[in-house]
Amino acid sequence: MIRLHHIPFSRSFRILWLLEEMGLDAELKHYSITDGSLRASEFKAISPVGRVPALEIDGRTIYESGAIVEYLTETRPEHGLGRLPGDDERVPYLEWLGFAETQASVLGSLNMQHLFMGDPTPASPVVLKLEAARLAATLKAMERTLGERDWLLESGFSAADTMMGFNLFSAPYYVDMDRFENLAAYRARIEARPAYRSAREKDGQQEFYKKDFYPVPEA
Amino acid sequence: MKIKLHHAHEARSFRVLWLLEEMGLDYDLVVHNFFDKSLRRPEYLEINPAARVPALELDGRIICESGASIEYLCEIFPEKGLGRPAGDPERMEYLDMLHYAESIGQHGANLTQAHIVLYKPEMRSPTQMNLEARRLHKGLERMERLLGDGREYLMASGFSGADCAVGFGVDLARKFISFDALPLCAAYAERIVARPAYQRALPPEGVQRIYTKDFYEAPDV
Repeated sequence: MIRLHHIPFSRSFRILWLLEEMGLDAELKHYSITDGSLRASEFKAISPVGRVPALEIDGRTIYESGAIVEYLTETRPEHGLGRLPGDDERVPYLEWLGFAETQASVLGSLNMQHLFMGDPTPASPVVLKLEAARLAATLKAMERTLGERDWLLESGFSAADTMMGFNLFSAPYYVDMDRFENLAAYRARIEARPAYRSAREKDGQQEFYKKDFYPVPEA
Repeated sequence: MKIKLHHAHEARSFRVLWLLEEMGLDYDLVVHNFFDKSLRRPEYLEINPAARVPALELDGRIICESGASIEYLCEIFPEKGLGRPAGDPERMEYLDMLHYAESIGQHGANLTQAHIVLYKPEMRSPTQMNLEARRLHKGLERMERLLGDGREYLMASGFSGADCAVGFGVDLARKFISFDALPLCAAYAERIVARPAYQRALPPEGVQRIYTKDFYEAPDV
């Protein structure tokens, strides 16, 4: 039995998508950021600090999305979505997994400051500007890579691409994506994948963003 | 194998430097200044276009993410016993902790930015600083629970690369939050800091430091 604890449009979407790519059956438990379900004792028993994802698998529970991606791909190597020790692409694979979280931490910080501190936000415009610039810089690095190939790794689609499942769809709320042509094509390639579509159908309604774009406020 | 680490004192690259010391490997160390523009020099941008540390060169191969560097080093030097390879009973927990390092590390980085990089108070948001400190505390509560079974390090079997990934963030957290409600994390921090390899990786006397205070209190909201 595999069970994924999930919030729509959050980091746990990375896992939902990867499970679909692997064709693994998983029970999906939905939570909402607005109805208090993350603080319910039932969920606390699974995830003591109340975070998603949490994946129950092989009799245990694992929490960090990057770790889940590594674990799933190395315990189910027949799907070919990891690049395991000894693989020529092991280093770039690990590097992209790490980079995805570097980028996601900037998004997490922007989410916190724009969405969860009140309206209007008492966040510092200096910090918001810095973070948006930092996010744009990480997107630029991806734009360069994706000008040379269809997926993050040269050999083709991998779980590193599913790590972008939270990032690439949150970034447009903070950075104007028009200048990133290769990223737009990459996103279209992702959206054409049957497993991605099926994951989106199961994902649920996002409750994070109330606007289409969150500009840096005037100082 | 020729190993070269690009490092800045007290930055995330400390994790990798500490691991290299724990492993007792021969390596070249290039120390960059965090404060001047040296990470933006064209020669360095060739190595790491993001102008950040670490950058680890292994026979000319470059890794820039500290977590990836740790995972890979432990993998290619299995005789050092600091990884938990696939099939190991602790493998799942090991991977989880390697990635958990970034979960808590990002709050330390955000607090460093707010307290130190933003040198004028009006650039900062007290609400954000308090929230970051609370999130850091909450993140460490998971570790407090893990250490509850009496283990000394993150893996019950003993010290591992995961401690190098996470431990730096725990030591740093002590500059931003009280550990009064995290006694096991506090004892853990003392344990890792006392390790000879950790001590060897610390900056030498007299160099410019990022952190000049022992504690950075979150401002009143």
